[in-house]
Amino acid sequence: MVKRYITRLLLSALLLTGSVSAYAVVLKIATIAPDGTAWMKQMRAGAKEIKQLTDGRVIIKYYPGGVMGNDKNVLRKMRIGQLQGGAVTSGSLSGIYPDMTLYGLPFLFSSLQQVDAVRSKMDKGILSTLEKKGYISFGLAEGGFAYLMSDKKLETVDDVRGQKVWIPSGNKVGEVVFKHADISPVPLPVADVMTGLQTGLIDTVITSPIGALALQWHTKINYVIDVPLTYTSALMVVSKKGFNKVKADDRRIVRRVMGEVFERIDAQNRKDNIEARKALINQGIEFVTLKDSDVEQWHHIGETAMQELENKRGYTQAVYDALMDELQQVQ
Amino acid sequence: MFKKVFIIICIAALSACGQLVSNAKKEFADDLSAAIIQHDEPETVKQALPAYLILIDSMVRGDDENIGLLISASRLYASYASVFVEQPERKKKLSQRAFVYAHRALCLHVGNTNVAACNLKQSSYARYEDALKKFKLEDIDVLFTLGSAWAGVVQANSSDWNAVAELPKVKATIERVLALNPDYSHGDVHGYMGVMQSLLPPAMGGKPELAKQHFENALAVSDRKNPMALLMYAEKYARLVFDRELHDTLLKELLELDPADTPSRLITVIAQTRARTLLAQADDYF
Repeated sequence: MVKRYITRLLLSALLLTGSVSAYAVVLKIATIAPDGTAWMKQMRAGAKEIKQLTDGRVIIKYYPGGVMGNDKNVLRKMRIGQLQGGAVTSGSLSGIYPDMTLYGLPFLFSSLQQVDAVRSKMDKGILSTLEKKGYISFGLAEGGFAYLMSDKKLETVDDVRGQKVWIPSGNKVGEVVFKHADISPVPLPVADVMTGLQTGLIDTVITSPIGALALQWHTKINYVIDVPLTYTSALMVVSKKGFNKVKADDRRIVRRVMGEVFERIDAQNRKDNIEARKALINQGIEFVTLKDSDVEQWHHIGETAMQELENKRGYTQAVYDALMDELQQVQ
Repeated sequence: MFKKVFIIICIAALSACGQLVSNAKKEFADDLSAAIIQHDEPETVKQALPAYLILIDSMVRGDDENIGLLISASRLYASYASVFVEQPERKKKLSQRAFVYAHRALCLHVGNTNVAACNLKQSSYARYEDALKKFKLEDIDVLFTLGSAWAGVVQANSSDWNAVAELPKVKATIERVLALNPDYSHGDVHGYMGVMQSLLPPAMGGKPELAKQHFENALAVSDRKNPMALLMYAEKYARLVFDRELHDTLLKELLELDPADTPSRLITVIAQTRARTLLAQADDYF
């Protein structure tokens, strides 16, 4: 009698634990963004809402602050199934789908108005193709325009040639641009930039206003060339394999909630860059307006670089053409 | 002649009397701080403190060049804002008041000898960093008060990019205190540095190994009895590097501390409450 009771108890315990683990799908998502930042707060709020709305069937577990490595490491871990997702920069997906880097082409956009016009027409199509390649995403989040920032006032391309300009290690687009500008950049991982600025290995960086403040590079900067060099963005991607483990109804919930989270992050980053620009000015940093002829020279460098990149980088011709058409209409 | 001497004696007596009053005010503020940090019932302190803060304001109002009093006032406001105030707007206002008192104390202290330090917001980072080099060991109280009050303002305004922009100056201030006396305030200086070195992950240029070293130093200086160092080591460093074992070990060590055997009963009791929350959330985080 007692034995039968214990057996039943064990059996029900096994069933119970078995049913719980089969019930909940855990999506492990890593990012370089540190915990406690506005991005992480938003993403954690999204995870909480998803858990509630799915009655605990979908659990999102974050690995923030680069504990799973940089974007490249995160994407590799997604491929081997160690992670189901990552919040990464658009540029890091170039190997999976080259069109993800189109918005980041040098001097492509001159204003946020152009960005909005192009993105409202093209985001959907680009992200839908990314999904066909096996990566589900919930919308792009603006990182903002990146600018050349330096210790000295740089007014011409020639001035920049005399500087020690940083380039992120392995950034092929940047390498082509600098080659066409006849600038020899210093490649370093982001992790080493601050030390590089402190030791004088570099004196000029490329980043957005929020980047300059968050990474504290602004302490080594006096001037910003007020011409957008490139447009940066980021997104959350989840492997299709991992996502399909979530039931269809719950997938819709995840898409809706995370879609809203990324819309909020996208809008907040726009505001943050405006505020960060003001804060840089308050710190005594000067935004330098270039003469039209100098802006023209930068744009010419951008165009020749783009021609080389267009041939080399494997963009989809139709997508590239559509982007240029949209841009033409705004201009 | 007699009249002149009489006047001189009167003036001397008055100023001596004024000095006595000034000292008494500072002593009162110091005793109040001591009573607060040794209290073991946080709710009582939380409810009682606002009245005393206003009292200290009134004392400063009547004696606004008393550096010692300004330092005490700043420290009380900074502690109250960071420990007891939850509402973001109140936290901003009260931490700002702590900063204003500390800044005033600093400017009075340096007088005309270090204008760049007094003009800390307007000075460029490089100029401020140079100004800090002029501070000596005898300036440490005012400098640490400024650094900790400023850190409180940045924390209370972390979504304001102007505050974020000031963080390197706060860090430089604390670093200067550290260079002057690394053992100051039971290892609190190392604790602050530990938190500031835990803000960025290595991939973004952060140096968590330095954070770890600072937290270890804070514990060594305090004979492992600094409750905030144990708490921040777990919350900021162990979580940043995803070290669950270290996280749980530190928090359990904190829970085992006897509040009466630490530099501050009040802070220990509060840190222990937070430690219980962090331990309860650990399964979700790791």
